[in-house]
Amino acid sequence: MAENSDAQWYKDAIIYQLHVRTFHDSSGDGIGDFPGVTQKLDYLKDLGVNAIWLLPFFPSPLRDDGYDIADYTSVHPNYGTLADFQALLAAAHERGIRIIIEMVLNHTSDQHPWFQEARSSRDNPKRDWYVWSDSDLRYRGVRIIFLDTEISNWAWDPISKSYYWHRFFSHQPDLNYDNPAVLEAMWGIMKFWLSTGVDGFRLDAAPYLIEREGTSCENLPETHAIIRELRNRLDREYPGRMLLAEANQWPADVSAYFGQSDEFHMAFHFPLMPRMFMAVRLEDRKPIIEILEQTPQIPESCQWCIFLRNHDELTLEMVTDVERDYMYDEYAKDKTMRLNLGIRRRLAPMMENDRRRIELLNCLLMSMPGTPIIYYGDEIGMGDNVYLGDRNGVRTPMQWSGGWNAGFSIADPERLYSPLISNPLYGYQAINVESQKRSQHSLLSWMKRIIQVRKSSRVFGRGSIEFLRPSNHRVLAYIRQLGEEKILIVNNLSNSAQAVELDLRNHKGSIPIEMWSRNLFPRVGELPYLLTMGPYESFWFRLRRI
Amino acid sequence: MPEDVLLDDDFLRQLMNVGEVDILVGVPSHNNAKTIARTMEAIESSFQRNFWRERGVIVNVDAGSRDGTAQLAMEAHAAPRDGERGLNSLRTVHRIATHHGNGAFPGAAFRTIMAAADLARAKACAIISPDSGNVTSESVANLLHPIHRDGFDFVAPLYRRSRFDGLLARNVLYPFYRAAFGYGIRELHSGEFGFSGRLAAVCLAEDGGRDALRAWPEGWIATSAVSSQMRCCQAFLGARPPAPAVSGTDVVAAIRGAIDGLFCLLESRQSLWMPRTTAEPVQALGPDHDIAPDSPRINRKRILDMFRSGVSELRPVLQSILAPQTLAEIERLAPEADPQFRFPDEVWVKSLYELAGSYHRSVISRDHMIQAFVPLYRGRIYSFLLRHQESSAEEIEADSESLCLAFERLKPYLLDRWTAKS
Repeated sequence: MAENSDAQWYKDAIIYQLHVRTFHDSSGDGIGDFPGVTQKLDYLKDLGVNAIWLLPFFPSPLRDDGYDIADYTSVHPNYGTLADFQALLAAAHERGIRIIIEMVLNHTSDQHPWFQEARSSRDNPKRDWYVWSDSDLRYRGVRIIFLDTEISNWAWDPISKSYYWHRFFSHQPDLNYDNPAVLEAMWGIMKFWLSTGVDGFRLDAAPYLIEREGTSCENLPETHAIIRELRNRLDREYPGRMLLAEANQWPADVSAYFGQSDEFHMAFHFPLMPRMFMAVRLEDRKPIIEILEQTPQIPESCQWCIFLRNHDELTLEMVTDVERDYMYDEYAKDKTMRLNLGIRRRLAPMMENDRRRIELLNCLLMSMPGTPIIYYGDEIGMGDNVYLGDRNGVRTPMQWSGGWNAGFSIADPERLYSPLISNPLYGYQAINVESQKRSQHSLLSWMKRIIQVRKSSRVFGRGSIEFLRPSNHRVLAYIRQLGEEKILIVNNLSNSAQAVELDLRNHKGSIPIEMWSRNLFPRVGELPYLLTMGPYESFWFRLRRI
Repeated sequence: MPEDVLLDDDFLRQLMNVGEVDILVGVPSHNNAKTIARTMEAIESSFQRNFWRERGVIVNVDAGSRDGTAQLAMEAHAAPRDGERGLNSLRTVHRIATHHGNGAFPGAAFRTIMAAADLARAKACAIISPDSGNVTSESVANLLHPIHRDGFDFVAPLYRRSRFDGLLARNVLYPFYRAAFGYGIRELHSGEFGFSGRLAAVCLAEDGGRDALRAWPEGWIATSAVSSQMRCCQAFLGARPPAPAVSGTDVVAAIRGAIDGLFCLLESRQSLWMPRTTAEPVQALGPDHDIAPDSPRINRKRILDMFRSGVSELRPVLQSILAPQTLAEIERLAPEADPQFRFPDEVWVKSLYELAGSYHRSVISRDHMIQAFVPLYRGRIYSFLLRHQESSAEEIEADSESLCLAFERLKPYLLDRWTAKS
């Protein structure tokens, strides 16, 4: 079983996010599958991750990459069978790796039998499982999330001659949680997967469950009540399992989803993510400190999830207009790179393949408060293809080797579910696991090392954070502390060498021990502690008192 | 003065922590407690609204204020730009401070600010005076945009002034500078201007002219720009409140300071102005300078009395400064009564040029010369007030242009007087 049977295992987790389709194809049909993932578990174990978050793998018309679910209690035949999934689960657990799966509560595919029934007639028993209206005038003013493709949150159903509500694509009708039967059905689905042994759910689109006239239809009290009910049942019947909220909101609004430790265990800290990118570009720690100072305290048992990139566009919803313009100008000058209110690029291309910046951002990811999530392929610096449409450019096949189909599949290349990245800079010939395994100085080797260092102390996952404010604004420095254990992190956010004087008087007498090398640094005294740092350098010091 | 003396260790450390910047605004201060907070807020607000992507720093150089100005300068902050969620500017807006000796001359502060600009590699800079208390974020931007966006190196301000405000500039500094150096820069005595990092480097490298820098720093800096063939312009900053009513002693000090500064500049830049034979306009950005219809209250009779008594009592001194013909003209017009009293342009220009020549040769103590000249200035101002009590802004402006042309036409006379042996 997993190495840490602690009920709060998620605080010490290093999560690896992957889509079954993209990872490894065992059957030769050009599409990744569950057995393929199982075959690569040793790679993930070696990397050091201890949890995998699987993107949706349910039967689906795949018009939203699986977030449009047509059957909640099965596996898409493209990816294998339920038995294959269960085999993966068992193999992962044997290696001490937990499995987190998606649960799309808010909506289904319009191909789901529930919706097919609901739309068949106004008298159908399932009619009330969705949100219908004779006009598109209800809930006026509610923002449209997929701005690039949708013009309304209402869609006309020609079959039942009425409108249905959808916060996402029009082929994803929203479920009606004012109907208790919906909640019961979804709980039944969750139980189905919990009984197979999954360790947690990422609940997609959590804020949008309930609609009320005159509101934003987001974060309503009734939505929280539903979450509390699910959590209550989870704790009672499946203790030790975890709920992760996808709520793209400002920190004060997201923190409400922790409740009094009776809603979600974890939630993504969306607003922090773009600000890490911003800070490195600005060479100024201000955006990071500002957003974290605005972040409320959360219950002790709860945890933020932090990340650099994921399967979606790098969202710029939770930034100001000024910040959004800046991010577009600096990271997505070509408008092809922009989607909805975000940037559809991977980490390495955004960092212009600058190894130092990639490392710095990962140092921030691994040392800031929260559970880090690594997006598949970012550990080797994979590139993207913005010309693939929607967000498919960041969902290309995993690059295992420089050989046939990057070692992803033995199928004909034309049969692959997506073209490979093949340019000389990021192509699979240049960027692949096999090559990087052979070098101790590769990005992959470095990622393994940083994960190892992070796992060497529980401070990172469970400790407090205190920002130091040296006069040099290009340096972001903070102390993480858990009990008596203290770690000092110092990051040079700039492209040039910097000198920084840190006020460490409160830690006078401590010996800083650099955590990668375990080299000793001069004892902390009364005077400001001077450090000189190279471009984009990050120091992690354990502060020891001996 | 070596640069390292300009920047003490503490200030240098502050500069190190700021690092390279794009925009630098310097604020020299001395007992400005009533206006410094508003000034700093306006500057910070301008950074947030107009230069939100740029790396910026505000530098306060205080000359030993005793009213808490220095502390107020560091504590005042603009309201957040984005009221929602408390997120304001994209970047840290730095604020650093240093000080000079008690009541140090403005030129010292300017030089310190330029040194900071040079070390911080600032591209666009400005000096903002807290004296007027009328600074807005737009006026700060108007000084910086021509440098930051349009590639100018020196930006002089233009103001909307009351009809009878700025008379020293209108009757002495502007026309004299224009005729001598060939550039029509109207406001070179306001304590505010914009400059590029390149100009800062040039000014710092110039060894001579310390006296001119001390006496008339804006004149010195503008002339450095001109002599280096740098691009200059004037930018409209809005209304300039009339200077508060001052005592007779303050008026004397202002006149002395202005004339002393002007003549110091002439002495230190002879190679630049002496060969110059024509004047060219300097581009004005935004609305041109403007004259507001209101007029401050002025005691005209007192001015006339001081002119008459000065001409009479200081005759022996005036004899050593002015040519006999010029003095005779002035003595002739002294007894004139309203409304006939006129101080003709030609007489005024000649008297200034003769004073300049005498100053250059130090025929008597320079202080005495300038002191003796003050009554003549009063006479000239009285004439101006009398003539324009009902004039429109256009009429006043036409008259000023006529005066400028007189200065230019008589420049050969200035050269004669300047180079005369006695």
